[in-house]
Amino acid sequence: MKEFLTVCPRNCYSTCSFRVQVENNSIKRILPYSENRATPEGPCIKGLSYIERSVTKKRIAHPLIRRSDGSFVQITMKEALSITADRLGELRKKYGPHTVFWYRGSGMSGLTNEIGGSFWRLYGGVTLTYGNPCWPAGLEAVRLTLGTVRHNVPWDLENAGAIIIWGKNPAETNIQEMAFISGARDKGSRIIVIDPRRTPTADKADWLFTPEPATDAALALAIARILIEENLIDEIFIRNYVRGYEEFRRSLTITAGDAEKITGIPEESIRFLASIIGRTKPVTFLPGYGLQRHYNGGQTIRAILALAVLTGNIGKPGAGFNYANLQSLIYDDPKEPLSYYPDPEKDKPFRRTISIARMGKDISDSADPEIKCIWIERGNPLLQAPDSGSLIKALNGLEFRVVVDQFMTDTAKLADLILPAKNMFEQSDIICSYWSPYVHLKPKILDPPGEVTPESEIYHMLGKMLELESNPSVLPVPGDENIKKWLRQRISLKGNISIEDLEKGPVIPDDLQMVAYEDMKFETPSGKIEILSENAASLWSVGALPDFDIRKDRENDFPLTLITPNTGSRIHSQFGNLEIIEKTCDHPGIEISASDAAYRQIEDGDKVKVFNRNGEFTTVASISQRIPHGCVVIPNGVWLDEGGGSNMLVSPGSTDMGFGVAFHDTMVELVKSG
Amino acid sequence: MQEGFIFNDQLCVNCNACKAACILENRWKGSPREIITFNHSVSPNLPVIHLSLACNHCLNPVCMTGCPSGAYSREPVSDAVIVNEETCIGCNYCTWNCPYDAPKPVGRRGVIEKCNLCWKRLAEGLEPACTSACPTGALKYGSIPPDNFRNKPDWFPDKGLRPALFFSNRKERGILKITPEPLTGNIHPATFESQDKRSTEWSLVIFTFLVTCSVSLLCSSIIKGIPGNSVLILATLGFGAFASIFHLGKKLRAIRAVCNVKDSPLSREIVLLLVYAIAALLSSLFRNAGLIAIASGTGLILLAAIDGVYYFPDKPGKHFLTSGQVFISGLLITSLFANTIIPFLFIASVKLVQSVRGLLKKGKSRNHYILRFIRFALLLISSASLASGVNHFTLVIYGLILTGEFLDRIIFYQDFKPLNINLSISENLRKYL
Repeated sequence: MKEFLTVCPRNCYSTCSFRVQVENNSIKRILPYSENRATPEGPCIKGLSYIERSVTKKRIAHPLIRRSDGSFVQITMKEALSITADRLGELRKKYGPHTVFWYRGSGMSGLTNEIGGSFWRLYGGVTLTYGNPCWPAGLEAVRLTLGTVRHNVPWDLENAGAIIIWGKNPAETNIQEMAFISGARDKGSRIIVIDPRRTPTADKADWLFTPEPATDAALALAIARILIEENLIDEIFIRNYVRGYEEFRRSLTITAGDAEKITGIPEESIRFLASIIGRTKPVTFLPGYGLQRHYNGGQTIRAILALAVLTGNIGKPGAGFNYANLQSLIYDDPKEPLSYYPDPEKDKPFRRTISIARMGKDISDSADPEIKCIWIERGNPLLQAPDSGSLIKALNGLEFRVVVDQFMTDTAKLADLILPAKNMFEQSDIICSYWSPYVHLKPKILDPPGEVTPESEIYHMLGKMLELESNPSVLPVPGDENIKKWLRQRISLKGNISIEDLEKGPVIPDDLQMVAYEDMKFETPSGKIEILSENAASLWSVGALPDFDIRKDRENDFPLTLITPNTGSRIHSQFGNLEIIEKTCDHPGIEISASDAAYRQIEDGDKVKVFNRNGEFTTVASISQRIPHGCVVIPNGVWLDEGGGSNMLVSPGSTDMGFGVAFHDTMVELVKSG
Repeated sequence: MQEGFIFNDQLCVNCNACKAACILENRWKGSPREIITFNHSVSPNLPVIHLSLACNHCLNPVCMTGCPSGAYSREPVSDAVIVNEETCIGCNYCTWNCPYDAPKPVGRRGVIEKCNLCWKRLAEGLEPACTSACPTGALKYGSIPPDNFRNKPDWFPDKGLRPALFFSNRKERGILKITPEPLTGNIHPATFESQDKRSTEWSLVIFTFLVTCSVSLLCSSIIKGIPGNSVLILATLGFGAFASIFHLGKKLRAIRAVCNVKDSPLSREIVLLLVYAIAALLSSLFRNAGLIAIASGTGLILLAAIDGVYYFPDKPGKHFLTSGQVFISGLLITSLFANTIIPFLFIASVKLVQSVRGLLKKGKSRNHYILRFIRFALLLISSASLASGVNHFTLVIYGLILTGEFLDRIIFYQDFKPLNINLSISENLRKYL
């Protein structure tokens, strides 16, 4: 058996290195790689499932085209590409290039994903989304405050005196971080979880605070007020490095008593939490992404981050605000979150943008030119984009729909043409993460089945057929050796990292700060940490200071808040279709509290209809003491035929900054069905 | 030093990676590794603790010693306790004996799959698939200290088997403090219900009942001093033995049940059954008093051996003098057949007391009480009639008593709860109700 070192390219904090043993062009074993300090133990169940995922019969191995009766029929890659090139050529001629909407999901990361962008640039431009469904409000909040988005290396967590896990559930979404949390706890660190749910992470904590959803900013601002009143702030730190402290202090009108009414957390508990944050040194905050998927998401993150700033928990070992670490993220130019902005001026004529939050509606409303064609790769927007109903309508109205995927997803089922996508073992690439500080090489290990062709090669061949002017440094010639040449050239832009180093193992870039901001340099307009940010006001029309502003009509809406988190057994809509996941993990239904279930006469295992004015879907109820009264939980990305469809109910609403999607402001009702 | 699994529950987040790795490596049909959860229903007043558990490859492997077919063995290099699915007859006796639920019956035939410690991987210099896969390092493979149970949680069963499992890092941590206090708080009753379910072992009910009848017929013939009805003695025995085969997953391999007379109570039971059958056959052929005495004696030993099969799996002593024990049942039926009222009433009163105890148990299903009440009533009516001397062993009384004893067999298998980890957890949780 041959052994290779590789890395998981999923949209996940951990981005684990692991070794694979290969025999007869299939993965036999997956083994840990202990040299990676962020992920020294095994990968998660999803990583292990690659053994099945790389050989499953469910894989699409040949191009499929839709016949007039709606069914799919297999065609050759040559036929598929010539049909595609013809249609793309016609559409461009008739409507102009921006009639094509290029939708990219986060299904597989990698530097080679840029090649698609190069293709569409040569094509003459394309329509893209702006914003991002995941994390941009928080990214922007951190960028406005600290200038960049960084945090300490994962293993530094063991130096923390207290860890405030605020709306994050690493026990399911960043399992390897639990080892560091546990290590800190063994050394005496206090573990606090703030989450409406009793998450599996909370099971490993000392305290759990369960605020009402979307009220986290009120909690944070009340704590800030207590910290200042009780003089638990780091005055020297504030004087030297912080801008806007005085203004912030004066703006803090929410008392602990007020916060009790808003969040539901008793005043004395809030005071206790403030004293832990103020009196423990150092404190690391682990904010999640779910709590910023609200209309007030960006301001919420700014308010929580202000607590780390007031207490001087920035730029020190064991301290920090670990939202995301973009130091080694070398994918995008410009870097996230700026790449999410609808800034076509700079990049004309290439980009025309529509909102990710209103994707369905924006496609239908598009003009000059109308969107007539969609090209979807690495994504399953039918399940992951908000307001799926309007998206289905929009997709049905298009002339030509291309989906590149490994599996027959709910989105692929709507395609006119499906091109089989490579899997992670079938092309070399360079992978990095937003938590782990490493840059990795992901080598080609397997030959793809059937006529599977990596996207870069599809683009190369289409480029030729469309007679686009290109050279191998833009659209690399087919063959993995050529991709490696392209990667070598591309990575050389990053200075000190070479392919040769990466071949030996993952590399931490030389310029990466192991303790983020230890130089106390902040790339904000003032060069200081900006609690007061005029940019926040001018870019996003929110307060220049963090504030609390809950959606006013929330109370008049449907009674239950729908939370759609990620779980341990899936990444969005990936992995749930594999037998090993089905065999070992609980099937996702909608989780509901005992009190809400009793009120609706729903029993555990009952079929229920979940609805609001956007739509409805049917699933199975499971009564859980992890869920607070007033909330229901269904993991995002559940396939339609297994009881998914939660995004049918999500309004196309944006977050206050960063053009995110306010998924968690969705209010629903449910009744027993049938 | 013993090698085995080292487990740190603080690190286990129930991610199922160990379970998946085990299946992917060994291509199991089922899932020999499981995550056992204490406080599965997430009661706010209790910690939620996960335990990844497969086989602990005990120093005293009761699965192996109890196995009647010799399907179990130790892999010599790794000391792994392994099962050979070709020789396994699907009797599932090991599932009763193992308190850790390590042997898992798979499919219609109930042939056992069980953790093999990935001994082939160990031979390659690798760790077992589960420990190698664990993303947090909660599950490791290594040397087990001799006092490995000093840290064990109180819900973890200890039956003196010396399992190769060590709980590292079990610190006393306070219960998670939740604010505001959650609305609900009780342990979900479903936690217990789901773990209490066991199907009625019909083939064993019929087997044990008929064999008891056969032995009683033979024994009573000695007391009465007249030869018993040979046809009846042999027919009940034959039908009973035939019924027992239906308990096995692999019926054609039933004869392998005698392969482990040295250690297995189940093998002993089957061997005694065969000896009794031969003795009964000879005694009915030759009508020799000595042979009949030998056959009767063997029959009584056989009944004791049947009871012995259940002695280890359930709490030792729990079934001593219970109404369902076949030895006692055999004495009762013998005294019935022998028309001896005083011994009958004595044994019946012991059984009546036991019946009342069953009726007084709280929190059982309606069927539980109905069944026990009928059983109680049948015995009371028949004993009272006999005591008052009104009816003297009429067919009606025979019918009432034998029906009662048959119900007793059903009740026995309902009450029979082999100690395993899930049961141990749910009994521990009951304390908090």
